[in-house]
Amino acid sequence: MKNCDQFRELIEAYALGALDPQERAALEAHLATGCVDCAKAVEEARWLVTQLAYTAPEAAPSDMLKGRLMQTVRAEAQSLGKPRVMPTKSAIPFWLWAGVAALLVFSIYSAWNTRRLNNEIRDANNRAASLRDEREKAEQELVLAKREAMILMDPSSVKIALKSGDAQGPQLEAKWHSEWGVVVMGENIPMPSPHHVLQLWFIPKEAGKMPMPSMMIRPDANGKFVLLVSDPPESMDATKALAISEEPEGGSPWPTNPPRYSGGVS
Amino acid sequence: MLLAAFTSTGPREVPPDATLLSLLLQRDVSAFEQLYDRHARLVYGLVLRILQQASTSEEVVQDVFLQLWRNADQYDASRGPFVPWLCTMARNRALDHLRLKSERQRRREDLPEELPTIVVAPEYEKALDEKRRAERVRALMASLTPQQKKAIELAYFEGLSHSEIAATLKEPLGTVKSWIRNGLLRLKEGLQATT
Repeated sequence: MKNCDQFRELIEAYALGALDPQERAALEAHLATGCVDCAKAVEEARWLVTQLAYTAPEAAPSDMLKGRLMQTVRAEAQSLGKPRVMPTKSAIPFWLWAGVAALLVFSIYSAWNTRRLNNEIRDANNRAASLRDEREKAEQELVLAKREAMILMDPSSVKIALKSGDAQGPQLEAKWHSEWGVVVMGENIPMPSPHHVLQLWFIPKEAGKMPMPSMMIRPDANGKFVLLVSDPPESMDATKALAISEEPEGGSPWPTNPPRYSGGVS
Repeated sequence: MLLAAFTSTGPREVPPDATLLSLLLQRDVSAFEQLYDRHARLVYGLVLRILQQASTSEEVVQDVFLQLWRNADQYDASRGPFVPWLCTMARNRALDHLRLKSERQRRREDLPEELPTIVVAPEYEKALDEKRRAERVRALMASLTPQQKKAIELAYFEGLSHSEIAATLKEPLGTVKSWIRNGLLRLKEGLQATT
């Protein structure tokens, strides 16, 4: 548990849901190692965050809401066929039994039909939700692809060469647009070691300030990758250089290895 | 018999949430109604604070309580108290609506139908009624600095991340992180001290 200290300061924000993706991934990777102390701290922080619900002023919903809810709940309770108490005395005429039987058959049919309709509605909703998710995903990918193209084509984007520490190694290129973000591209990039990833860092100009963690990179089978950072952790003016280092799977809040590739932001 | 009915109207025992929830498993509509009457104001207040719109908030509250009705078996009273679980479900639902509404990219991987984790009450926490619990948390929150309070509220009620809060408040990222962490630690200390 030697790494616990570096994660402790993230735990409250994690429970609150305020961590940025890289830090959240790093903390979750640490929790996945089975760290009991941090898991306990997360549990306590979650409790603390639940208490924030009380800071919202209480308010009364409309009576109509309760009416709608109770109507649905009663209908569902009925359709699931709650056991009913039947009269125990047998002094009931045959015609009444026949009526009860007919009513029972009708009730069973109604319950079955309601359930069938509910299932059909649920299936249709699921299909619609699935299609909506796929469309949203495709739209998001299109938006990201458009943004990448805009950054790469725009003349005001600043070109940054990220040179390999090894003179024979590949050279990466980044383009940074002050409003739209950074695109980093590479070819023939060697795969990171097992259980490791490549991670992008923004190195601030301000003396003594730690490198800011950014996204993780995994080249494809041909060693190629294109990475879009739409929300860089630092502005271009405040950034001295970009660097890429090999880090443990899940990323790290700060560099644990020397950079493999780096380049100054001019 | 009528007289007996009148004479037996002493103070009625209020069943605890856990009892009502076990009745919910038997599809007891009356238990559901009691749970709704007991907690609807808190849940609706929370959702309304997040969404700021009454009609959408009522839709979300309806979803939350229907989910409770349909999935009561997924709540295990032995693992933690009910109200935090219910409020977490309401907050997750409301934030999902907020994010869809603003067409922001969804950061949560939670599926809409997924129920929240049951949170265990820490050892320092002791049983308080909802009213006292609310008063205590509100007083502690009021004791934070305005910056700490604002940053925590943006994260909790608007679902913003550190970076998004820094951009909203136009403050350095590190400063925002400190406000949130120090504010929450102060709240925790306050809760420990008042129990």
